[in-house]
Amino acid sequence: MGLPPIYYHYFARPLPYLRALHLQESIHALQLEQRRASASAHKDVLLLLQHTPVYTGGRRQTEAELARERTRLAALGADFVLAQRGGELTYHGPGQLVGYPLLDLARTDPALGIREYICRLQRVLALHLREAHGLVPVETAHTGVFLGAQAKVASIGVQVRHRLTAHGFAVNVTREPQRWFDEVVACGLPDVRATSIEAAAGRETAVEAEVPGVVARFGRVMEREMAPLELGADALGELVGAVDQESRTHS
Amino acid sequence: MSAQRVMHRAPLTLRRTVVTKHFTQDHEAVKFDSDTGVGTVTITDYAQKSLGDIVFVELPEEGATIEKGESVGAVESVKAASDIFAPVSGEVISINTKLGESPSLLNKSPEEDGWLYQLNLSEPGELESLLTEEQYKEFCES
Repeated sequence: MGLPPIYYHYFARPLPYLRALHLQESIHALQLEQRRASASAHKDVLLLLQHTPVYTGGRRQTEAELARERTRLAALGADFVLAQRGGELTYHGPGQLVGYPLLDLARTDPALGIREYICRLQRVLALHLREAHGLVPVETAHTGVFLGAQAKVASIGVQVRHRLTAHGFAVNVTREPQRWFDEVVACGLPDVRATSIEAAAGRETAVEAEVPGVVARFGRVMEREMAPLELGADALGELVGAVDQESRTHS
Repeated sequence: MSAQRVMHRAPLTLRRTVVTKHFTQDHEAVKFDSDTGVGTVTITDYAQKSLGDIVFVELPEEGATIEKGESVGAVESVKAASDIFAPVSGEVISINTKLGESPSLLNKSPEEDGWLYQLNLSEPGELESLLTEEQYKEFCES
């Protein structure tokens, strides 16, 4: 018997970071609960979205370190949140495609190792940049996707609990995120600047336009079928549907 | 009656300290010394291989009371923070401060020099629901 599909959903309206974080936590709790009852009841899901402007820190940041930055960045009009993911300070906002794969690494036998999982996320993005835009990432020791030694186009930051993943990746599609990145030293790399698909490819595109290609390549690299999540159809669909509905009425 | 009582001291026999090893499905291990009641918690070699190069370790605080199953810290590698869960309940009595400067110790010697923290077990009975070394090996291979 083959593996079940990974269910995906793209939120058409930008979500506040905390709203999406809360959704991730709810899905994580649901997956844990369902998996305890039966080995295959829980579903793997890929959430795709944009955030409203927010700077986020990872586990290595301390509140003290970031206290000063918090005030300055809030004055720019961005939220500021410390998350439980790996990686350091980064920015999310309109013009950037964010992906949260919430997968069970132990779905396959043998289980997918964390290092291999991160590699695959990078591969999905690299493949998409190459095939959809003719952009070739450069090899680097850093995690993430670079289009030049000092030009970062995508970031990765993940959390794993009981082999269930949370958080994920973010790729700059339009030029819009770049000026927000210029306000900070992102990812602990002072010499690196953010670039975008638009800037590197020299032509305009939009986040929505990138979604189908990213979904397809995600399926290819993970070797899984991708299926659209039916909102409201089950517990998972209800959780996602509620957030989707809310974003449409509040925007 | 005051017959002289001769006190014989029992010969000091060499006793082997009993240290048992217990594993979890989250790839952590506890080395338990039944004499002292102290458990030393580590991750397993399987875990460090799966993680890749470890760059940062978040440990519980000394003196903290932790409960079995609670998230007590994390191990970070290549931008993935993997939560570590308490295999048993107790009070943290020491943490491996070497991991602050040399997180790579966790890759090189995950089950010995790269130990995470030690605790006084409050419920040694919890060890019984963990896996034995053999069961853990089977679990990894399955």
